[in-house]
Amino acid sequence: MSFLDDFRARWRAYRHPGHYERFDYAWTMTIDLDRCTGCEACVTACQAENNIPIVGEEALAKGREMQWIRIERYWEGEYPDVKLRFIPMLCQHCDAAPCETVCPVTATYHNQDGLNAQIYNRCIGTRSCSVYCPYEVRYFNYNVHHWDKPLDEQLNPDVTVREKGVMEKCTFCIQRIRQAKDHAKDDGRRRVRDGEMQPACVQSCPAEALVFGDRQDPQSRVAKMMADPRAYRVLEELNTSPSVVYLKKVGADAG
Amino acid sequence: MGTIDRRDFLKLVGAGGVGAAAGFVLAEAIKHPVEHLIPYPVPPEEFSPGVAAWYNTVCSMCPAGCGISVRTLEGRAKKIEGNPSHPVNQGRLCALGQAGLQVLYNPDRLTGPLMRTGARGAGPFVQTTWDDGIAELAGRLNELRADGRSDRVSFLTAGVRGHLAALLELLMAELPGARLLQYDFDHPHTLLAANERFFGAGSLPYYDLENARYVLSFGADYLGGWLSPVHHALGFGRSRQGRSGARGRFVQVEPRMSLSGAAADEWIPARPGTEGFLALGIARQLVAEGGYEGADRDAWAAALDGHTADAVAAQTGVPAATIRRLAGDFAGTRPSLALGGGATGGHTNGVDALVAVNALNYLAGNVGRPGGVLFNPPPAFGPRARAAHASYRDMLALAEDARRGRIEILVVSDTNPVFTLPAAAGFAEALAAIPYIVSLSSFMDETTGLADRVLPSHTYLESWGDDSPEPGVGFTVGAIAQPVVAPLYDTRSKGDILLGIARALGAGEDFPWANMEDYLKAGWREVYGRAPIPAEAGGFEAFWISVLRAGVWGENGRRESGSPAVEARVIDAVGVAPPEFAGSSDEFPFVLHPYLSHALRDGRGANLPWMQELPDPMTSVWYGSWVELNPATAERLGLREGDVVDVESAHGKIGVPVYVFPAIMPDVVAMPIGQGHAGYGRYASRRGANPIQLLAPLTEPVTGGLASSATRVRLVPTGRRVSLVKQGGESRQLGRGIVRTTGAAAVTGPGARLASIPIKVEST
Repeated sequence: MSFLDDFRARWRAYRHPGHYERFDYAWTMTIDLDRCTGCEACVTACQAENNIPIVGEEALAKGREMQWIRIERYWEGEYPDVKLRFIPMLCQHCDAAPCETVCPVTATYHNQDGLNAQIYNRCIGTRSCSVYCPYEVRYFNYNVHHWDKPLDEQLNPDVTVREKGVMEKCTFCIQRIRQAKDHAKDDGRRRVRDGEMQPACVQSCPAEALVFGDRQDPQSRVAKMMADPRAYRVLEELNTSPSVVYLKKVGADAG
Repeated sequence: MGTIDRRDFLKLVGAGGVGAAAGFVLAEAIKHPVEHLIPYPVPPEEFSPGVAAWYNTVCSMCPAGCGISVRTLEGRAKKIEGNPSHPVNQGRLCALGQAGLQVLYNPDRLTGPLMRTGARGAGPFVQTTWDDGIAELAGRLNELRADGRSDRVSFLTAGVRGHLAALLELLMAELPGARLLQYDFDHPHTLLAANERFFGAGSLPYYDLENARYVLSFGADYLGGWLSPVHHALGFGRSRQGRSGARGRFVQVEPRMSLSGAAADEWIPARPGTEGFLALGIARQLVAEGGYEGADRDAWAAALDGHTADAVAAQTGVPAATIRRLAGDFAGTRPSLALGGGATGGHTNGVDALVAVNALNYLAGNVGRPGGVLFNPPPAFGPRARAAHASYRDMLALAEDARRGRIEILVVSDTNPVFTLPAAAGFAEALAAIPYIVSLSSFMDETTGLADRVLPSHTYLESWGDDSPEPGVGFTVGAIAQPVVAPLYDTRSKGDILLGIARALGAGEDFPWANMEDYLKAGWREVYGRAPIPAEAGGFEAFWISVLRAGVWGENGRRESGSPAVEARVIDAVGVAPPEFAGSSDEFPFVLHPYLSHALRDGRGANLPWMQELPDPMTSVWYGSWVELNPATAERLGLREGDVVDVESAHGKIGVPVYVFPAIMPDVVAMPIGQGHAGYGRYASRRGANPIQLLAPLTEPVTGGLASSATRVRLVPTGRRVSLVKQGGESRQLGRGIVRTTGAAAVTGPGARLASIPIKVEST
C-alpha cells in the first residue's frame, strides 16, 4: 500500500499548478492580441523550423492539417459594424495538461523546464491526447509524408522527421532551448540569458506580438508582460494552467 | 556481379568466409553510388559539420527589400530569418520571405539552358548549353544592330534596383533604341504620380507608422501587401503598445476588409472609387473647422469648397457625422498620418484620390515630421529604376508593336505578363508575332512557356546583387545580396548572363568585369569613395567584408525636413473626378475588387507549397480561389458557401465557389489574385482561377496604369457545388471568451446571443 500512497502523493504534486516553478526554467510565451495582425508569418516560420510536412489539399479537406501554430479567426457583429479578431493558437504547454494524464504509454509528459513534451518513439497513435486537448493543437500523422526532391535539402537536422501514426505538436522549439542551454554551459553560465533564444514564431513576428522567456526570472520581458493587467489565459476555467499568456486586445473605445 | 548489393555481399561474406581483404576489393569493384550522411566528410575550412553558418543577404520575394540571415548547415540553406541589423525589417520576416527556401529547393526549377524544338507554346524543350544560348541571342542582337534596327529589341523585366538595374541600362546603351520595360502588376503607379504632382517628388516617402498616434488609411493594405508590410507591421505593433499611455489608433477605409482593416479600430466601407471624395470631405473639415492656419488657407478653402460633409456623405455612403468625427480625430490626435493606395489608387481617379490623401497630410501638418510622411533620400547607388516602370499603356504599346512586326527580339526576366495582364490586352497573342523570345526565368511559367530559348537564372539565394530598399526608412540604406549556397544547377546569375551577352556583343571593353561580383565590388568601391562612411581601417576590402557581414550599410537617423510649401496651382488642381467603371450597373451589378493574396502576391508565390498551405488570413481557405459576397447579397441570390458561380465581366468569365464574407459591401464582390496558373509547376498549375483575366482595359488617365478595381461583373450560378477547403472551427466565439478585449463596448450580435452555453464567461 505504501507504494500506492507514495505514487498518489507524487501524482498530486505533479498535477499541482506551480509544481514546475521549482525547476530550472518555466518557459512561457506571451501573445499581445493588440499587436497581432494575423499575418501568419509565425505559421510559415514554424513549418520551416520544425520540418512540418506539406499534407496536400486532399488531407486538408479531411481536416488532417499539420500546422503547430495557427491563427484562429472570430467574427463579431454584422455588416457594417463587423470586426474580425485574430488569435494565434499553439500548444499551451499546460502545467496540468489533460493530454498527459490520458496517454496510455506516457508518450507525452512534462519535462523539467515546464514543457509539455512528446516522445515520438513511444507514441502508439491512440490519439486520446488530441481528444483531451481543449485547445485542439495536437496533430496526428495520418500518412507517410514525403518531400519532393530537393525540398528535403531544407529539412532542419536538429529536428526529427515524424513517422505515420505519431502525434506531434508545438515544442516551443525545444531544439533551440537545448542549444541555448549548451551555449550557456560552454560560456560557464548557469542560466540562459533572457532573449538569448526565441522559438521560430517569436523570432519572425513582424508586429513583435510574441514574447518568449522564463517566467521565473522576474526581470525577464515575459514576466513583465505577464504582469500587464490585460493578461489572461485561454479557457483558464478548465484549470489547465497554460504557459501561454495572452494580452487582451484593446477595444476602440479605450484611449 | 553487377546486381549484387551490399546486403547480399555481407551474406556471402558470412556464408563463404570470404576474407576481409577480398571483401574490400569486391566492394570497390561493385561501385555503388556513394552516399554520405553529411555532404562533406572533409569539410572546407569555413565550417564544421553540425555548426550553422549564417549569411546575410537581401530578400527578393517582394519589392520591400528586407534584410535576411540565412542559416546554412553543410552548404545547405535551412532557415531564413530577418536580419536584426537591417532597419527595414529589424530581424522580422513575413511568411512569404520565409518561403524563399522553397524557391531555392523547388523541384520545378529549371536545371539548365533550354531550346524549344516543336511548335511555340507546345513544343518540348531540350537541354542546350550556355555558350550556344548566349551566342545565338548575341548573334541575333548583333545582326539587328548592324542593320541599325536594334530598336526592335525589348527587354522586359520585373522591377529591379541597385547595380543590376545599372548593368541593364549599360547593356541597353549598347543597343541604340532598344526598349527596357519593368513590369509588375502591383507597381504603385498612381501613388508615385500623386507624389510627383503634390510634392514634386515622384518617389515613395517613408510613412512613420511607429510614431503616429492616429492612422487613417484609404485602401492601403499596409499590413498585407502594400509597399513594405514587415516594416509597417513593426510600426503598427509599436504604435499600439510600444509607448506607455499613447496607444495608436487606426482607421481603414476600403470596400472589403483587408488584414489592415481587421487590425484597425474602425473599418469604414466607402463606395468603390469614392475614397478620394471622402479625403476631400475630411480636408474641407480641417480647413473649415479644424483650425488650419497656413498662409495658403484661403486657396485651400476655395479648392475644397463644396465638399461639405453632407455632400460627401451622399457621394461615399459614409454618414456625415462619421466624416466630421474622422476630421476631428485626424486634426486632434497628433501626430496623425493618412495613407492611400491599393484599391483606392486602382480606380480611374486614382491619382486624384491619392493627391487628396496627400493634401490631408499637408493640412494636418504631418509632412516632414516624425509620425507622419518623411521624404527618403535618393538611393545611394543604382539608377532611379522606378522611372522605367511600364504601365498598362506601355505594355499595350509593346503588344501593338509586336503585332505589327516591330519587335524581333524580346528578352523576358522574372515577370510573367501573360498571367498578370488582363486577357483583354491580348498579350499572349502578341507574343506569337515576335520571332525570337528568350526568358531568363528560374521557373517555367506562362510567359516562359512561349519562349524559344530559356537561359535560366539563379535564384536570389545563389546570386550576387544589392539593393537600396524603396520606400526605405527615411535615411540612406544599402545592402549587398550574396550567394548563401553554391548554385544547385547549371544556371547563372542574372548579372553574369547580362555580362555574357555584352561580351558576346563585342562590348568587352565597356564591360571589363569578370563577373557580377566583380562589377558589384567596382560599384561599391565608388559608394565607398563617395559617401560619408566612417573610416575603416583596411580600406575598401575591410569595408566590403564588414558590409557583407552586417548585411547592410547606411546612415542613422531620420531626416526631418519640415513641411514643404505646396504650389498654388497644385492646390487649385486638387479635386477628384467621378470614377468610371467598365460595364453598366444594370448588366453587371457588382464591382469586382481583386486583391493581392498576402501569400501568393501577384501569383509568383503560387509554386511554393508552404504558401499554398498557408490559410488565407481572412477566410482561412487553403489552395484554390473563391469569390467573396456580403451575407445579405448571398441570401438575396440564394447562394451558400461552396456554390460555384461564373463571375462574368464583359471580357471573360471564370467559375469559382462562393465564400460568404461578413465584411464586404453588398454591391462589391472580391477575389484574391494569385491562383489560376496554367503552367507554373506542380504546386500552382490547374488550381483556382485568375481574376486579372476578367479585368477591363480601363486605365487611369495620368499614369496609364491599369484601373484594376474598376471592372463590373455579374454572378451566374452554375448549379454545381464544391466544398471549400478551409481551416475548421466555429467562426464565432459563442461566448467562450477566447479572444478577449478590454475597454470596448459590450459585444453585440450572434456571439452575445449564444453566451449561455455552460462555460464560465468572464466579464472584461
